Amino acid sequence: MSEPILEVKNLKKYFKTNSGIVHAVDDCTFSIQKGKTLGVVGESGCGKSTTGRCILRLIEPTSGSIRFMGEEITTMNRKQMLGVRKNMQIIFQDPYYSLNPRNTVYQSIAAPILQNKLIPGAKKIQIEERVLELMETVGLAERFINSYPHELDGGRRQRIGIARALAMEPQFIVCDEPVSALDVSIQAQILNLLQELQETRNLTYMFITHDLSVVNYFSDDIVVMYLGQIVEQAPAEKLFDKPLHPYTKALLSAELEPVVGANTKRIQLKGELSSPLDPPDECRFAKRCQYHCAECNCGTPPLIEVEPDHFVACHLVK
Amino acid sequence: MFGKKKKMNTQDQVVLSEQHDSDYVLEVSDLVVHYELENETVEAVNGISLRLKKGETIGLVGETGAGKSSTALAILNMVPDPPGVIKQGTILVNGHDMLHLKREELEKVRGKDISIIFQDPMTSLNPVMTVGDQIAESVMLHEPVNKAEAMERAKEMLELVGIPGERAGEYPHQFSGGMKQRVVIAIALSCNPKCLLADEPTTALDVTIQAQVLDMMNDLKNRLGTSLVMITHDLGVIAAICDTVAVMYAGKIVEYGTLEDIFNHTMHPYTEGLFNSLPRINQKGSKLIPIPGLMPDPTKLPVGCAFEPRCKYATAACREKPVENRQVSDTHTVLCCAYEDPDFMLDRRRKVTDE
Repeated sequence: MSEPILEVKNLKKYFKTNSGIVHAVDDCTFSIQKGKTLGVVGESGCGKSTTGRCILRLIEPTSGSIRFMGEEITTMNRKQMLGVRKNMQIIFQDPYYSLNPRNTVYQSIAAPILQNKLIPGAKKIQIEERVLELMETVGLAERFINSYPHELDGGRRQRIGIARALAMEPQFIVCDEPVSALDVSIQAQILNLLQELQETRNLTYMFITHDLSVVNYFSDDIVVMYLGQIVEQAPAEKLFDKPLHPYTKALLSAELEPVVGANTKRIQLKGELSSPLDPPDECRFAKRCQYHCAECNCGTPPLIEVEPDHFVACHLVK
Repeated sequence: MFGKKKKMNTQDQVVLSEQHDSDYVLEVSDLVVHYELENETVEAVNGISLRLKKGETIGLVGETGAGKSSTALAILNMVPDPPGVIKQGTILVNGHDMLHLKREELEKVRGKDISIIFQDPMTSLNPVMTVGDQIAESVMLHEPVNKAEAMERAKEMLELVGIPGERAGEYPHQFSGGMKQRVVIAIALSCNPKCLLADEPTTALDVTIQAQVLDMMNDLKNRLGTSLVMITHDLGVIAAICDTVAVMYAGKIVEYGTLEDIFNHTMHPYTEGLFNSLPRINQKGSKLIPIPGLMPDPTKLPVGCAFEPRCKYATAACREKPVENRQVSDTHTVLCCAYEDPDFMLDRRRKVTDE
């Protein structure tokens, strides 16, 4: 088995607010093997994007350890961190907001190259060559080099975002809902592109999404999050064949298949995500769970390995 | 005196058109909507015909820019003008000719006969009015009730969509996304419209909440007999809720038929492309087949088939002449000239037949 490229242990991120402490990410532990994809699924507000951002230290984690390529990065200073970030990049959800509207495609893609002095003493021509090379890699035609983001559609904008991330030749990319703002036909183009890049460059992805069919298509392992905690973790096939946590089951059954008559049996979840403000020490899903019983209110269920590689946090699954 | 007389006339007309007798709650024929800008014209909707019976649900599917929302706005005669112009077509809602009603008559029909749910519940509610007042407002506009009765009705409507009535005094920011969408649905349903347009009602919601909202809409539809136009880009939503489906591309309906026709007897290459680009939960590993390229620029639509540049079955004939609608069965039509060859079959169909 290969060395994990990323190991996250007991990661916590709390936000202090006037009405209490928001437990956005609460004690998450997972690791990603090199060249693999970890899918992170959950509803909005479950802390999946916060986890992704904590790993890059775009927001500072409250506590916990993050080891990237064997090095602890939570204690690094700003300068060391800049070095590490060349190897870890992020693709943001909304290509409409993550690009500077006043910069052309060329300026947007050249920015990380210039900023990090990736080509020492580079002349303009070399940078232009590199930008064109990146544009070709992500499938952007050369004629768009002087276009502004508003002149391009969502799929092309997302390609700029991917080119910017690739400019650093990273080993690891956090993809934060990279396709959810796109139309299905374009979504498939971007998913195929990400997959090709992974195959040719041996990239490692952390793929954050709320779309279960996308995550299954794309991931080797899957982590299901609920209110800041990991409730189930397993290889993709296992999770989809035999989901164990009641929340995972409900999520899978809520997914609508584009097949006539396929969507009849649905587990109805009552209510909505409860508040992440100072949550009590109990199963956070208990209020919406159809199997809810007295035991659920006795402490937070630990994440235990019920089968090899299959982890579940539920008092009722043992 | 003059004003009073005018009002009388208006009422007479409304009564007259109500006598219109038809099985169809909504009839759209040959609708064309353009946005005429200073130096170009966006051809958003180019000749659409739809019919909807009582209690039926029709799904309009298509990508961004296919003209789905423009169609919905046109049905309510709400296309922003300028720059929007309804160039031609007729729209009958419960017998009312939407395009020739006077403003005050239109206001009576909207909300009472037909209403709309917009995509984003975060922006379609008034943030400085309580949700109860917002529902009561539309009840008072259409029915002869006083404030207290309207408020009572508002509470009933909230209960109907699964929100406790006592929350009527709260403001939109005190509700979560799914709850806000329920409030929007409660407003739309408050006067028991015969027909409801839902423009991507669940796109902004999480899957579990989406499931709740869809189940609720299905339930309401069955209980109240409302006809529903469901606008979405999500084929899963269509499969879950619709009876008939219209697939839209570049302002035209390229395939129209029952749910069964569209999903199990797919005829149009674009519909096939949509199915192929969807990752499926139980088909891991198979590579997605995206539709290459992009939707054509709606200011420069080609003479021939608009899908031709992206279509793998395209021939020279597709480019040259306008495509004509082809009736495949009683319920199923397709806009594709490949079927002039009687042996033509999509790969998706061929696979099914081979198996």
